[in-house]
Amino acid sequence: MRSPFAYISRPRPLQLASPGAAVTYLGSLIVVAFLFSNPIVLLAVGLALVIAGRLAAAHAAVRAALWMGFTLALLIVVVNALVVGRGETVLARLGEWPLFGQVDVTLEAIVAGLVLGLRAAVVMVGFAVYSACVDPDRVLRALRPIAGRSALTASLVSRLVPVAAADAARLRDASRLRGPGAAPVGRAALARRLLAGSLDRAVDVAATLELRGYSLDAPRAENRRSRSRYDRRFYVIGLAVLAIAIAGKAFGAGAFGEYPATEIGAGVATLVVAAAVALSGLAPWRRRPRSARSALSDRRTASQSLPAGPRI
Amino acid sequence: MRGPGTAVAIALLLMALATAGCGLGPGSGVKDAELTVTRDYGTVPVVHRQLGDLTESDTVMRALERNAEITTRYGGGFVQSIEGLEAEESGGGSLDWFFYVNGVESTIGAADYALHGGESIWWDYRDWDAAMRVPAVVGSWPQPFLGGYDGKQRPVAVECLGGGSACNEVEERLGAAGVDLSSRPSSGAIRILVGPWLQVRDDPAAAQIERGPQTSGVFADFHREGRDYRLSGLDEAGDTTVDFGSESGLVAATRRYEEPPVWVVTGASGAGVRAAAGLLDAGDLRDHYAVAVDGAKETPLPLR
Repeated sequence: MRSPFAYISRPRPLQLASPGAAVTYLGSLIVVAFLFSNPIVLLAVGLALVIAGRLAAAHAAVRAALWMGFTLALLIVVVNALVVGRGETVLARLGEWPLFGQVDVTLEAIVAGLVLGLRAAVVMVGFAVYSACVDPDRVLRALRPIAGRSALTASLVSRLVPVAAADAARLRDASRLRGPGAAPVGRAALARRLLAGSLDRAVDVAATLELRGYSLDAPRAENRRSRSRYDRRFYVIGLAVLAIAIAGKAFGAGAFGEYPATEIGAGVATLVVAAAVALSGLAPWRRRPRSARSALSDRRTASQSLPAGPRI
Repeated sequence: MRGPGTAVAIALLLMALATAGCGLGPGSGVKDAELTVTRDYGTVPVVHRQLGDLTESDTVMRALERNAEITTRYGGGFVQSIEGLEAEESGGGSLDWFFYVNGVESTIGAADYALHGGESIWWDYRDWDAAMRVPAVVGSWPQPFLGGYDGKQRPVAVECLGGGSACNEVEERLGAAGVDLSSRPSSGAIRILVGPWLQVRDDPAAAQIERGPQTSGVFADFHREGRDYRLSGLDEAGDTTVDFGSESGLVAATRRYEEPPVWVVTGASGAGVRAAAGLLDAGDLRDHYAVAVDGAKETPLPLR
């Protein structure tokens, strides 16, 4: 079974863009999520990433990231509410707890936890869209001239994970085939077996990569073909989002105070930054049906960027 | 299906929460407290309020937030500004907000300092270059003798070290303020040392005064002149500014490590000790770190 975060090649602008352009665009949104703690701006970043993911047809990745992100956010809210007793508005007193001392649940601690959780969820959606829409092979190929060994190590690791997942699926199927009377195989036993065989599998993956010429320099023609007609759009929008965010910060946008009382800035500057960020989610939009010729050209570009990874 | 173990665990948890004094909302009300906000070692008043709305979940930070405009830093743990006065560190000096509960500097943050009612809370904005730590002050009289410190009532002991009639006056003034004096000295007692500096200086806590404000937090000094000691007043930088006369006295508070605070009612001579004992009332000590007296003239310390 394929992971929802696995890259799937599709003839969509985000998938067709070069890795640099896609990383600039998605990276700028993630940077904005770390620059601001204001929930209005964070929600705008989240909205932009969800729209971008859906326009890039990464529905499963967005759904899974939202589910995981909101679960994590809920955990953060609960922990923050129990651990941080600061804030003016006490909602409940939970008495003296071992290690925690006096536990006072405050509205401000819950809001602060929500903001932390929201940021975590937004960043998870960002990385999910990146994982599902940016071809890892093209990223590694782009990195090869800069850091050859690191690229090789990253290639090895990025292939080991799906290999381990496939091995786990095979082992699970094999355990089921023993019949209904057999004792179920626990996760710990499965993990032990995978760990025991991981060195052999790593050698297999490394040998396959070597056979496919990973130790050789990439052909120059291959490097030239990594550009796309969508690159400029993503570069411009990514850099514009960053510029607006930094300028907004300088003008006092995104003010947010957690303690002792929650203060959420909702001034014009904050709303402008939030609107600009949210609109940037439309960057992967396909404006009009493409002509047969450009579609053919895009498909060729996509097929050239298909992973040359091992089928082990 | 969950077994009976789950139900028992949930029931035990609910019982534990109930017995731990849990409940919705901020809890029930407690006694009134007093909030004072000043700047420059208490010389400029900023806010003074009687806090009548305290509850059992209140902390020093919550009480301050409800009664003054503040901003915080480090996740709400430290006060950055009160009524627009911002903490700052520049070439001109290091200015910050310090707080005292019942005249004793807290070892924990304002957000973690629980109030029980009846406290005297004093926030002061001051330069801390000469004395980073001023562990105790006299400006909340008759605290800490009435309410203790760190949330606990403490015994109070007057130690007469050659103070003569001044010792009786100190006891009378404490009694008039409603303080119960401990009949026998105990290790956890807040002590008041009464006597001429020649004898008081033998106490290790009081002796810190001779090592300067950086150690004791007291902006005063006693220096030898022949067989006697003379009292000097120091300014905010810790420099000697005034040499008081031979009949001068001092009321100051200090603290050694985590031991209970020690007050000194002392002077260069017996007359100075008696003059210092006469300062023990709210009118003379209010919002001062320490007070010197020379004849009839009272001088708050540090000097400005």
